[in-house]
Amino acid sequence: MTDAAHNERWIRWLNTVQLVIAGAVIMAPTVWMVLSSFKPSFEVTAYPPTVIFAPTLENYVELTRTTPFLSYALNSLIVTVGSTALGLLFGIPAAFAVSWTRITWPAILTLAARMAPGTLFLLPWYVMFRQVGMIGSYTALILSHAVITLPIVIWVLLPSFDAIPRSVFEAAQVDGCSVTRILWRIAMPLVASGIAVSAILAFVFSWNYFLFALVLSNGDTKTLIAAAFNFIGEGSTQWGALMAAATLIALPPLLLAALVQRWLVSGLTLGAVKG
Amino acid sequence: MASISIRNLTKRYGTFTVIPDLNLEIADHEFVVFVGPSGCGKSTLLRIIAGLEPISSGDLYIGDIRVNGVQAAQRDIAMVFQDYALYPHMSVYDNMSFALELRGTPKVEIASRVKRAAALLHIEPYLDRKPKELSGGQRQRVAMGRAIVRNPKAFLFDEPLSNLDAKLRGQVRAEIKALSQELKTTMVFVTHDQIEAMTMADRIVVLQSGAIQQYDTPEAVYERPANQFVAGFIGSPAMNFFPVEWREERAVLSQGGTVVPLDGETAGRLAKAGQAVLGIRPEHFAVAPEGTDGLPISVKLVEPLGSDTLIHFDLANVSAIARVDPSLRPKVGDRINLRPQPGRTHLFAATDGQVLR
Repeated sequence: MTDAAHNERWIRWLNTVQLVIAGAVIMAPTVWMVLSSFKPSFEVTAYPPTVIFAPTLENYVELTRTTPFLSYALNSLIVTVGSTALGLLFGIPAAFAVSWTRITWPAILTLAARMAPGTLFLLPWYVMFRQVGMIGSYTALILSHAVITLPIVIWVLLPSFDAIPRSVFEAAQVDGCSVTRILWRIAMPLVASGIAVSAILAFVFSWNYFLFALVLSNGDTKTLIAAAFNFIGEGSTQWGALMAAATLIALPPLLLAALVQRWLVSGLTLGAVKG
Repeated sequence: MASISIRNLTKRYGTFTVIPDLNLEIADHEFVVFVGPSGCGKSTLLRIIAGLEPISSGDLYIGDIRVNGVQAAQRDIAMVFQDYALYPHMSVYDNMSFALELRGTPKVEIASRVKRAAALLHIEPYLDRKPKELSGGQRQRVAMGRAIVRNPKAFLFDEPLSNLDAKLRGQVRAEIKALSQELKTTMVFVTHDQIEAMTMADRIVVLQSGAIQQYDTPEAVYERPANQFVAGFIGSPAMNFFPVEWREERAVLSQGGTVVPLDGETAGRLAKAGQAVLGIRPEHFAVAPEGTDGLPISVKLVEPLGSDTLIHFDLANVSAIARVDPSLRPKVGDRINLRPQPGRTHLFAATDGQVLR
């Protein structure tokens, strides 16, 4: 065997080891969470942890029996779908406008808003929403979550719009399109995959966002993630039910994240120009 | 169908002036070609006519209507882009019918117009395909089809042949020319290729630094260039230029003093000017018999083209080219006597390059 081939084999082996370690570190909490959700409640916190156990659905039964889990799930769905739709409604035209005019400061502003800690917005919002009597309303939650979804939509779509050859838009202008119609008939179909990716990411981020729902919701509008927090009690914590809830909460984002991979690659703009 | 009138047009980007005070009249049904080197402002001018670039000052009329503030969408102009700019998500049929659909044309009429244009351009078999499934030449035809179906006031072409290979370029060039004769619509075509300009245009606009150097028929631009820039730009290989002077009642090359045999009329103009730049196209040299008046040269390089042969030589510190009959079979190092054909030479002012008449 030559030195080069020998080195190659070593590099490949080390890469595999690296991947396994990274995968283990990343996946361990998730695996632990899923396994714990199927353990009898007394075994969840057992030390040393049990690896072999008789799987049970008792935590899930307990979860649905003691909490209005489905209504929390519905709240999460309403807030997430609402804020994602709001993000898309304003984010798509905003990203297109930034790409069209090449004026980037509005996009940077939204990014700055996204990067700022949520607590920065929380107090003013709480005061504002309380003044207009909207604390605990879906509207307040949807509006606050738009701070999460809007920058995601804008920043995922901006490179997609930028990638469309300018001449395609100009051809549409000459053909008789207004800017709005260019967005609707030409640009949006060409960035369809980008829109799907941004919608899924916005959905995932909004679904997982905890802080705004904790403060701005009430008993009727509490989202899953905020409700799960209630399992951590001052005196005792229902670890089994908490694990079951966490597993169910994590399921939609995980499924959607798997979907995103399939949408990421798009050859739609192929053939627009000389090729 | 309409005329295009540009009056005192200026285009600036910030403080940089691309087109300073330009005036141009394009007649109805005319095929006008804008030609010039890169950065001369020809594409900017075309985009201004299309409505894709705003005017800094001056006026633009399409027909009798002043269109300065009119959006591209409302100008009723069709444009073929250099990169074709087809809509990638639409079929060929949809690409061609899109503009008509926007104008509310009835579906039956759209179908008939698309079919007619597709037949004219031989793209009927591809109507259901997407642009990415077509070759460069086919895409080019679709781009033209998209323009044709609209029956616009004018067609604008922005270097539409530059992405095609040489053979296809020649073929499509002829097709566009034939199309212009059939459609009888005002056409403005931008190119940096002088062969395209010469072969297609009714009139050529030669541009340099945003200013029109000459606006005339291809024959006039070739035969009677307005200045040294036009003379050097139009024609391939380019015109040769030699600084000349009138000394002791004779025309001589400024460098070396070789006597240049000029016809009486040209000699008279040089005598009046004292010194000038003499322009001779490679094809306007004649090989003179030894011992007669002529410019003695030594062949530096030979390029046989089949139909004729190019010989490269140095004369008065100028690298020059002559196009000669291939039967001459010149060889490197041969000494040849070249003589400018009477009446085919040009004299330009040594100061500003304007033609001396």
